[in-house]
Amino acid sequence: MSLRQQGTTLFSAMLAFVGAAVVLQLWLLTVSMEALLSGAYKTLIPAAIGSSVLLLVNAGLLRYVLRFDRDAHGE
Amino acid sequence: MNTPDEEEGCAGCKAASTPKWRQDFPIEWEGDHYVTRREMVKFLTLGSLLLASANWATVVASRLLHRGSHVERYIGSTAALEKAGSMLFRYPTDRDPCIAVRTPAGKLVAYSQLCTHLSCAVVYAAAENGLFCPCHHGLFNLAGQPIAGPPTRPLPRVQLEQRGDQLFAVGMEAL
Repeated sequence: MSLRQQGTTLFSAMLAFVGAAVVLQLWLLTVSMEALLSGAYKTLIPAAIGSSVLLLVNAGLLRYVLRFDRDAHGE
Repeated sequence: MNTPDEEEGCAGCKAASTPKWRQDFPIEWEGDHYVTRREMVKFLTLGSLLLASANWATVVASRLLHRGSHVERYIGSTAALEKAGSMLFRYPTDRDPCIAVRTPAGKLVAYSQLCTHLSCAVVYAAAENGLFCPCHHGLFNLAGQPIAGPPTRPLPRVQLEQRGDQLFAVGMEAL
């Protein structure tokens, strides 16, 4: 497999992972809204922390992509 | 079959015949809406940021709703309560129905009248010695705890103060 093909596979996998993380965040927000409206406030902070962790993971992957592009163009 | 030199020459001809504006803007009109994987990752990360912010917004909203109340309000006389067995009143505002009950042990208790399942009004059921929700047959004991039916959370308690024959609501715990 050529380096370009490897890169394509890698970016496709990252995109799939980021997409899955966003879907998970959507689910967390749904749970939070339901908890807020029903008064079960104990759920809210763990859900917000979970969502933030997923955001950090996504941001880390985006940073990796941007750095990868910068290095590739630098070469 | 063309030799590599001929192919290269042909490619060079093609590049030379392409106008400058096409070299500067190589995207076709049909391809204008095409989103690359990198752009999609950026877009999804922005969405991720918005979703995380919305999650924290629910935390902030819950803090604002979770304050409880410490308004003092006259709710009626003990004589009226003893006569009926229970008494309905509004606290802390006119839109918040509550119920006060004298327990068999002689203790005076009061709760929000809104069932914690779907907000139907609970009523005093002397036979069950509790607060009954007629909508879905939920039952709370006189400590406010759910003991039967769909409700899973206790009723918010109203703090009462008795001054002679008069009853005052002086506080309400948050949901």
